[in-house]
Amino acid sequence: MNRNVIVVLCVVVGITALLLVGKHGAKAPVSVTVDGNTQSTPAPVQGAGDPAKGSMAPTFTLKSIPDGKPVPLASLRGKAVLLNFWATWCGPCKIEMPWLVDLQKKYGPEGLQIVGVAMDDAEDKEIADFAHKMGVNYLVLKGSEKVGDLYGGIDRLPLTYYIDRSGKVVDETVGLASESVFEDAIKRALEQGKSATPEAK
Amino acid sequence: MKSNRLVWLTLTAMLLSGICMAQESAAPQGRTFVTYVSASNVVVAPGHAAPVRFTFHVQDPYHINSSHPAQEELIPTQLHFSLPGEVAVGKVQYPAGKLMSFPFDPSTKLSVYSGDVVISAVFIAPLKAATGTYTIHGELKYQACDNNSCYPPKKLPFAFNVKVGSGGGTRHKSRAHS
Repeated sequence: MNRNVIVVLCVVVGITALLLVGKHGAKAPVSVTVDGNTQSTPAPVQGAGDPAKGSMAPTFTLKSIPDGKPVPLASLRGKAVLLNFWATWCGPCKIEMPWLVDLQKKYGPEGLQIVGVAMDDAEDKEIADFAHKMGVNYLVLKGSEKVGDLYGGIDRLPLTYYIDRSGKVVDETVGLASESVFEDAIKRALEQGKSATPEAK
Repeated sequence: MKSNRLVWLTLTAMLLSGICMAQESAAPQGRTFVTYVSASNVVVAPGHAAPVRFTFHVQDPYHINSSHPAQEELIPTQLHFSLPGEVAVGKVQYPAGKLMSFPFDPSTKLSVYSGDVVISAVFIAPLKAATGTYTIHGELKYQACDNNSCYPPKKLPFAFNVKVGSGGGTRHKSRAHS
């Protein structure tokens, strides 16, 4: 009996330890060297929030900035959408913006629409001025907590979803991504769901 | 009988490991960026003022903007108090931010706080203040980032006591505002 008890405990403790180690390993911090100092940073997380890859992107309608027109996400069906949640107070978001500008120029003619959702409490004018200063050439919408909740609560920025032409989520990046990560996911979003586009029909 | 005992033991062990896993999963949602450490003791006589030092700790690997961020769109750290009528607050003195650059933009230096942050404020008891101990509620407003992401602005509530009475080592000679 005592032997059985020990075996059961060892198996349960072992499985728990393996699961915990695996979990930490998957999210191992990244070490970055800046000015000679090594700093630790949480790794960019992919696929950590809602909605899941392959599911339909939650639909919403938000006001565009600066003109205030309501824009339903569904109106972009047939295009690949890069949905980038950002804020004026978010330094890493600011770094991504010039890349997004370039990618909109490069892939816009192929059917890409980048949408920046500003999760800011700032006035519309402040957001518009900031976007103008950054040379933003893509659609900017004023975000809301309700829309944030549809996308997993938006507890950190930047947060980017890649949506294919049929409205399905292809991928997700939490935190600052590199330009090449954006580009790879954009290519997949442009490729997937082509059969659902009006042109294909 | 023995097999029953074994089943219960297995279920208990699995429940414990489940709780352990659940706590692990919950940790990212309940992320703590800044904790309130302490406030120095304060005794202030009616008609006098006394400084209080508040210590906060910014958890590694996060940083928060200083009270004077280097860029206008960044959200400054601010300390606010809800005051009872018997106590007023004077000048709040924030430390200078550390000028640091981060991997997301190595070419730009930002003014930030990390590690321990000590903010001072002067508390004043008006001449007619009744003696006694008053609990004052404060709130630290901040916005945290790490090397990869930024997090929505947060408020950290805290409370501390101010004793209005005669004497006390922290008594200040400046004239109280009424």
